[in-house]
Amino acid sequence: MNPLETRGRTSRLILWVLLAFALVLYGFPFLYLLLTSFKTPLDAIAVPPSVFPEVWTLENYVSALSRAGVPAALVNSVVTAVISTVLSLVLAVPAAYAITRFRTPSGRVFIVAALVTRMVPTIAVGAPLIEVMRNLGLTDTSFGLALAHTTISLPLSIWLMASFFEAVPDELDEAAKVDGCSRLQALWRVVLPVVTGGLAVTAIFAFLASWNEFLFALLLTSVRAQTTPIVIANFQTQFGLDWAGMTALAAVYSVPVILLTLLLQRHIVAGLTLGAVKG
Amino acid sequence: MSDRRFALMLMLPAAIFLAVFVAWPLVKFVADSFFEISPIAGGPREFVGFDNYAAAFASEAFQGASVRTILYTAIVVTAEFVLGLAVALLFTALGRRSNGFRTLFMYPLMIAPVVAGLLWRFLLIDNFGIVNQLLFEWGVIASPDQIQWLSDPSIALLSVAIPDIWLTTSFITLVLFAGLQNVPGDVVEAARIDGANFWRLLFSIIIPLLRPVIAVALIVRGIDAARAFDIILIQTDGGPQGSTTTLSLLIYRTMTRFGDPGLASAMGTVYLLAMLAVSIAAIALIWRPGGNAR
Repeated sequence: MNPLETRGRTSRLILWVLLAFALVLYGFPFLYLLLTSFKTPLDAIAVPPSVFPEVWTLENYVSALSRAGVPAALVNSVVTAVISTVLSLVLAVPAAYAITRFRTPSGRVFIVAALVTRMVPTIAVGAPLIEVMRNLGLTDTSFGLALAHTTISLPLSIWLMASFFEAVPDELDEAAKVDGCSRLQALWRVVLPVVTGGLAVTAIFAFLASWNEFLFALLLTSVRAQTTPIVIANFQTQFGLDWAGMTALAAVYSVPVILLTLLLQRHIVAGLTLGAVKG
Repeated sequence: MSDRRFALMLMLPAAIFLAVFVAWPLVKFVADSFFEISPIAGGPREFVGFDNYAAAFASEAFQGASVRTILYTAIVVTAEFVLGLAVALLFTALGRRSNGFRTLFMYPLMIAPVVAGLLWRFLLIDNFGIVNQLLFEWGVIASPDQIQWLSDPSIALLSVAIPDIWLTTSFITLVLFAGLQNVPGDVVEAARIDGANFWRLLFSIIIPLLRPVIAVALIVRGIDAARAFDIILIQTDGGPQGSTTTLSLLIYRTMTRFGDPGLASAMGTVYLLAMLAVSIAAIALIWRPGGNAR
């Protein structure tokens, strides 16, 4: 039992009430978004507003999802995030392994460089990337955007994977080599299977970094490769914002990742705190 | 092949990637700051030395945006620290039975900032926002449009910070909660026996013991808050009257809408150097890279 745990029954009761209050307050904004997505478009912007829908309807989901560009943007979001996740892992795993196993000076320089990358304002990389993508012929493509997203997820992935590798004892690699594995085989056949949990956490964070990203998508895509955050932001009509439609699409975009994290919560908590402590 | 060369080979792909897609763009960005550039692709460029920097420092927009970036970061980090620590202490005090709720509390971390910004704009909007309506029904304010959250320039910077605070307070809670699990029991017991009350325990024992964890959490969040872009853009687009234009927004706008990439790069370079200097100084104080974590 933690020394800071409260023992008195009354004070525990008060704390539970406080916690319940905090959770309601914290949960309300997204709950209200979900409730609004089931209101009629007029009900959603009624004055005064009400918390619950007067009539429950799926109208907003139908209209938002059948809007021009919305299905394509959802596909683009998935494609971009998957490419970026794979790319991050492919690049980060060998780098992180080399950094933790061989402790060379170049490895130390490398990990500091990865950390510095995290401090750079996104616009300072994004603006010049416009021209880089044009030169590579990747303007307005999912692959080009995935490359840009990898600049965000790669440093994080290297840090996360480095800490997972650190938890694996060096003796394991040594034993593999004694059994006749080459250094590369030791990594691929013996060490990687041990850190599959870490790989999953790293993959989730890389995926989320791309899934929720906005500024690169705004700078580097226009029509073909546009991702959903940009489409959500563009839900303006000539009469103002289509709030009801926006809440429906936002729900479609957010609920799957929220459910995913609730399912994998233990791993994600580990990854978040690790990522924080590591930078 | 020696171990050293093998290690280099393994790091090479990632290193090349970072060189091509981070370092090279940054070099170009900094180089652009010394040129007067036509906004049309392939247009003429002329070397002007430090003229763009002189123009940036002289511009009121840049000075204002710098101050607002610092203020915004301070608001977000302070609020998140106070709320995050309070909730982390609450979870710790309630022990294992609150574990499930801890997971629920984490959910905003997965929501896109642009969605969070739009959602709060909807909650705080003048005529049909639910927040003012509820405050009005509970008798806190006299009329539902008394507080103009996002259209009153004197409070707008505070209002745009709310979704950021909502989105990532859970992160601070998670990190501090992890730290609180390692507070040694005998120290707390000894202080209790000596008659220390809760506040004394908090300020003289818990916070000093958590100092490294707190520092890391605040640096991580500080860097992100200072770079905030979409969450502000979507709520106010920098308005009203420029009261929420932080550096990211100003640079983006100078680059795209006002079509002055040279000036935007000069502003961005100053911003970049300031970010690096502050974060590196902060990290050097608490953490040595290359060694084991803490």
